Amino acid sequence: MLEDELNVNIRHRDGVAVIDLIGDVTTFAEEKINGAYRQVTAQGHRYILLNFRQNDYINSAGIAILIGIVTEVNQNGQKLAVSGLSPHFQKIFRMVGLAQYAEIYQTEEEALSAFRRLSGVE
Amino acid sequence: MIRLLDSTPTIRLGGMTGMSGAEGVTEQVIELRLPSRLGYERIAMDTAASLARRMGFADERIDALRTAIGEAVTNAIEHGNQADEAMKVVVLLTVRPNELVISVSDQGRKALEVEQTKLRPHIADVFQRADKGGWGIWLMRELMDEVEFTLAPGGGNLVRMVVHLERMPISDQ
Repeated sequence: MLEDELNVNIRHRDGVAVIDLIGDVTTFAEEKINGAYRQVTAQGHRYILLNFRQNDYINSAGIAILIGIVTEVNQNGQKLAVSGLSPHFQKIFRMVGLAQYAEIYQTEEEALSAFRRLSGVE
Repeated sequence: MIRLLDSTPTIRLGGMTGMSGAEGVTEQVIELRLPSRLGYERIAMDTAASLARRMGFADERIDALRTAIGEAVTNAIEHGNQADEAMKVVVLLTVRPNELVISVSDQGRKALEVEQTKLRPHIADVFQRADKGGWGIWLMRELMDEVEFTLAPGGGNLVRMVVHLERMPISDQ
């Protein structure tokens, strides 16, 4: 009960792999998040959006998991963005420095239009 | 409803009515005793958030408090008590007129090194390391007004944090 499972759902929109993270991003989430990232990478996706749900719980273990994803995204030449974070977690992402490597958007739609502009330019 | 295993967490409310002079200062202390199992930090987070809301803290401060207390209790569970469920994490929430004092103590299977309490990780360095963690204590220090690590009377680790009621939220970086 207290391990509150994270539900991970993968969608494909406009050439972007959208990974919905529904629930809490803590140490229990590691396998699911890494698994989803590996899956979309194996499918050859360059653009990845981590779509959070407002007000879920992200702790330092969750931040470590996300830094692990950013490390691989950089190595694999992909682009990562995040959406749906509450103002508190947007602030924490900026404090930690994650925002330098994964652009923060308020909503999924805003992130998708930014990816569209990016893929149009490249 | 909170009921897990045979080690049920307890919540105790103590009214320490120290009448100090004419002001009649009342300190209320809430004590939580939590099993050392990951997930129980949420009980402390929810309790502290509920208390802080009643005290009139702004939403941003309550979010900061949730994160800080979650990290403190998680450290106590995983590090101090080495996730031995029989060992307790004791959380004291002391309500004062203009501040909330949070103390989190473990039973000290493993003591915190002083250097561990002063880490300031940098993400570019962390990319190179296998272990991407080490952000918890740094976050606590960034988010709370005061953070102090000492030894608990019983020999465990004790972290004491204070959040002031009238201080404006820390600005974004």
